[in-house]
Amino acid sequence: MTTYLGNFLLSLSLFFAISQFFVSKKNKFKFITITVNGLLISSLLSFGLLMYSHIISDFSILNVFQNSHTTKPLFYKISGVWGNHEGSMLLWILVLTIFNYFIFKLYNKYNSVFIAKTLEIQAFITTGFILFTILTSNPFQRMFPEQANGLGFNPILQDPALAIHPPLLYIGYVGFSAAFSISVATLTLNNNEKVPWYNYMKPFVLAAWTFLTIGIALGAVWAYYELGWGGWWFWDPVENASFMPWLLGTALLHSLIIVEKRKSLQAWVLLLAILAFLLSVIGTFLVRSGILTSVHTFALDPSRGIYILAFTALLGGYSLVLFGKKSKKYFNTNYFALFSREGSILINNILMTIICATVFLGTIYPLLIEAFTNNKISVGEPYFNSTAVPIMLPAILVMGVGPILAWSKEEKSKIFKKILPSVLLTGIMSVLIFSIYQSYSFIGIAGIILAFWIISNNIILLFKKNKNFSSGMLIAHLGIGFLILGITGSSIWQEEKITRLQIDTSTQINKYNIVFKEINEVKGPNYVALKGNFTVYDEKKNIITKLEPENRYYPITNSFTTEASIHTNLARDLYLVLGEGNLNKGWVVKIYYNPLVIWIWIGALIIFIGGIVSINNNLRKIKILS
Amino acid sequence: MKNKLLILPSIFFAIILSIFFYLLITERNPSEIPSNLLNKNVPFFEAESLFKNEKFISSQELKNEIILVNFFATWCKPCRDEHVYIKRFSNKKGIKVIGINYKDNSKKTIEWLKNLGNPYSDVLIDKNGRIAIDWGVYGIPETFIVNSSGIIKYRHVGPITNKIYKKINLIINENE
Repeated sequence: MTTYLGNFLLSLSLFFAISQFFVSKKNKFKFITITVNGLLISSLLSFGLLMYSHIISDFSILNVFQNSHTTKPLFYKISGVWGNHEGSMLLWILVLTIFNYFIFKLYNKYNSVFIAKTLEIQAFITTGFILFTILTSNPFQRMFPEQANGLGFNPILQDPALAIHPPLLYIGYVGFSAAFSISVATLTLNNNEKVPWYNYMKPFVLAAWTFLTIGIALGAVWAYYELGWGGWWFWDPVENASFMPWLLGTALLHSLIIVEKRKSLQAWVLLLAILAFLLSVIGTFLVRSGILTSVHTFALDPSRGIYILAFTALLGGYSLVLFGKKSKKYFNTNYFALFSREGSILINNILMTIICATVFLGTIYPLLIEAFTNNKISVGEPYFNSTAVPIMLPAILVMGVGPILAWSKEEKSKIFKKILPSVLLTGIMSVLIFSIYQSYSFIGIAGIILAFWIISNNIILLFKKNKNFSSGMLIAHLGIGFLILGITGSSIWQEEKITRLQIDTSTQINKYNIVFKEINEVKGPNYVALKGNFTVYDEKKNIITKLEPENRYYPITNSFTTEASIHTNLARDLYLVLGEGNLNKGWVVKIYYNPLVIWIWIGALIIFIGGIVSINNNLRKIKILS
Repeated sequence: MKNKLLILPSIFFAIILSIFFYLLITERNPSEIPSNLLNKNVPFFEAESLFKNEKFISSQELKNEIILVNFFATWCKPCRDEHVYIKRFSNKKGIKVIGINYKDNSKKTIEWLKNLGNPYSDVLIDKNGRIAIDWGVYGIPETFIVNSSGIIKYRHVGPITNKIYKKINLIINENE
C-alpha cells in the first residue's frame, strides 16, 4: 500500500515539475501557481510518507528494511530517512521544491518574464532529479517477502551532528540551484529588459553559503567526535566536494556586492553562479557514482553515475554555451581603484577561485592519472596543506583589510588612523596567546596574528555601530576570525600520544597526567561496549576531569565504533580514544591535546548567525524593490 | 579575443566530463589496489601444512601448473561468503587451490573446513602473518593467481564475488 502511494506521489511530483516547465515557458501565472504549490505539497507528502514508514518500521519497504531496525532510537529512525542514498535524494528534491517556492514568491508584474524564466530552469533541474530518483534510486521499492526486522543502520552514522548535517548541506547545494537558474534566466533576457537580477540572486546565494558553512562544520564536528582520529578535516574527496562550492560561493557572495554597487563584474558573477551549482552536482556525482573511494561512499551503482553525469552534461553544456554566447552584453567597464573596498573584494575573488581550482585539481588528479596511465596514486593532506593553505593566508590578510577601506578610493593617509585601535588590540592578544603556548612557526604566527586582526577589527566596528557596514557581514567576519584562530591553534599546537596502558598506570601529555582506572562492559540500547575509565590530573595533582571512551559493538550490523571521550574548555580539548587490548597486556590508548578546537565550532556558529542576519537584511531590500 | 575566451569554460567542462565518463564506463574498481608483485615471481617461503606432515617449500610447489592462492581465516566473515567460489575453483580441472590460513587457530580451522567443505589441496599455516607480509596482503580474504612458471598474474583484495569469479576464470583460461 505504502509503496503504491509513495510511487504515486513521486509521479505526481514529476507531473507537476514537468508542467511547471511548460507553463513557466508560457508565463501563465495561474498555472504556475498551481504547479509550484502542487510540486511543493506532493514532495512534502512523499518525504513525509517515507519518514512515517521509517518511524513505524514498515519493513514492507526495501529502503526501511535495508536501513532501519526496531531497536533504533526514534531520533535516528527519523535521521535514517536521509542517511541512505534513496532517502537523501527525496530530501534533495524536497529542498529543491522549497527553493522553487521561494523563487515563485518573488513573482510580480514587473519581473514576471524574468521570474517565469527562472522557474522554468528550476523546473528543469527538479524534473531531472525526480526522474533520477524514480529510475535509479526509488525509495519506495517493495520488500518481498516482508521481514520481521531490518538490517539496521550503520552505527557510525548514529550521531546528532550527522543527523542534521545532510539537510543543512543540501540547503547549501540546492540554494546554488536558485542562483544557477537566476543566472541562466538573466543570460536569456533580451537587451531591452533590465532586471536587478543581482538583488534577486543575493539572498539565495547568502542562504546557500550560510547553510553550506554550517553543514560543512557539522560534518567536521561529526568526524572529530565520531571517527576517533583526533582531527576534524581530512581533505577527503567528499569534504572537498563540499568545500569547492563553498569557495566559489564565497567569491560569488562578495562579487555580488560589487555588482550591486558598481555594476561591474556582471559576467563574472553569472559564470560563478553557474559553476557553483555545477560543482555541487559534480560533487554529488563523485559521491554517488562510486568513482572515488571515501568515507562517504554510498552503495555503488554505475547506472546512477551515468545518469547524473548525463544530467550534469546537459545542465553544464546548456548553461556554459549560453554563457559563451550571451555574456558579452554583461561586460561593463566601470573601473575602480585596487586600493578600495571593491579592489579588495576583487583580490579575494581571484584568491578564492585559485584555491578552488587547486582543491579541484588535487581531488580529480588521481582520476586523471588513472585515466591516462592506469597507475593509482592518492593525493592527500600534504598536497593541500602546501598548496591551498599558503593561498589562504593572503586571502585572510585581504579580508582583514578590505572591509575597513572606503568604497571607490581610499586615501592612504587616513588608513593608519583607522586601523590603529585594531593594531593595538591584535598586538596585545597575540602576545598573550604566544606567552601561553610558546611555540613559534611561520604559519602559526601568521595564522594567529591574522585571526586576532580580524577579530579585533570586527569587534571594534560592531561596537561603533557604523551605518557603512552591514552587521551581518561584521558578525560573519568575526566568526571567520574565531574559525581561523581555532584552525591554526589546533593544527600547529596539537600533541599526540599513542601508548599501551595497563590498569592503574598512567601517562603524560602536555601538562596533564592521565591515569587508567578501570575498564567495564556496559550495555546501550542497540549495542554493547567496553568503557574505559581515566582520570586526568594537572601538574598540581588536582583532578581535572574523568574521561570515559567506549568501544561499541553493534550486533545487528556486526560493526564496531569508537567513541572518543573529550574534555573541552576554551583553551584546549583533551581527546582520548580506546584501542585494542586485553587485561594482561593492557590497552592501546591514543591521546590528543588539541588546543583551541572549540573556537572552530564557535566560529562556524557565529558565521551562521551572521549569514542569517544578512539574509534577513537582503530580503528586506527585495521587498522595497517590489 | 574576448569572445573566444568565453567558450573556455564550456571546453574545460566538456574535457572533465569526458574523463569522468571514461572512468565510469571502463571496468574499474576504486578499492582495487595494484600489486607490485604482479608479473613477478612468487615470494619464497616455507610453511607448515595443516594436514600434511611435510614442510611446504614454495619454490618446489608453486610451479608446473596454475595455482590459486587464497589467504583466509575462520574469524573473517567475508571468507565464509567467498567459500562457495573457492569450492567451484577446486572442482575445475587444470588448477590447484592452495589456502593460506592467516593468524588463526588450527583446531578451529579444521572444524571450519569440515563444516563448509575443504576446497584446498593444501592448507598452509601463517601463524604470525609473515607470509602475508611477503605477499603484500592488504586485508583478508585475498586471492592470487600464479601461472605455471611461478609468476603472479592476478591479485584480488576482498571476497570473491560472481563478477570476480568470472574474471578469474578468464585469467585462468588465458594462462592455460
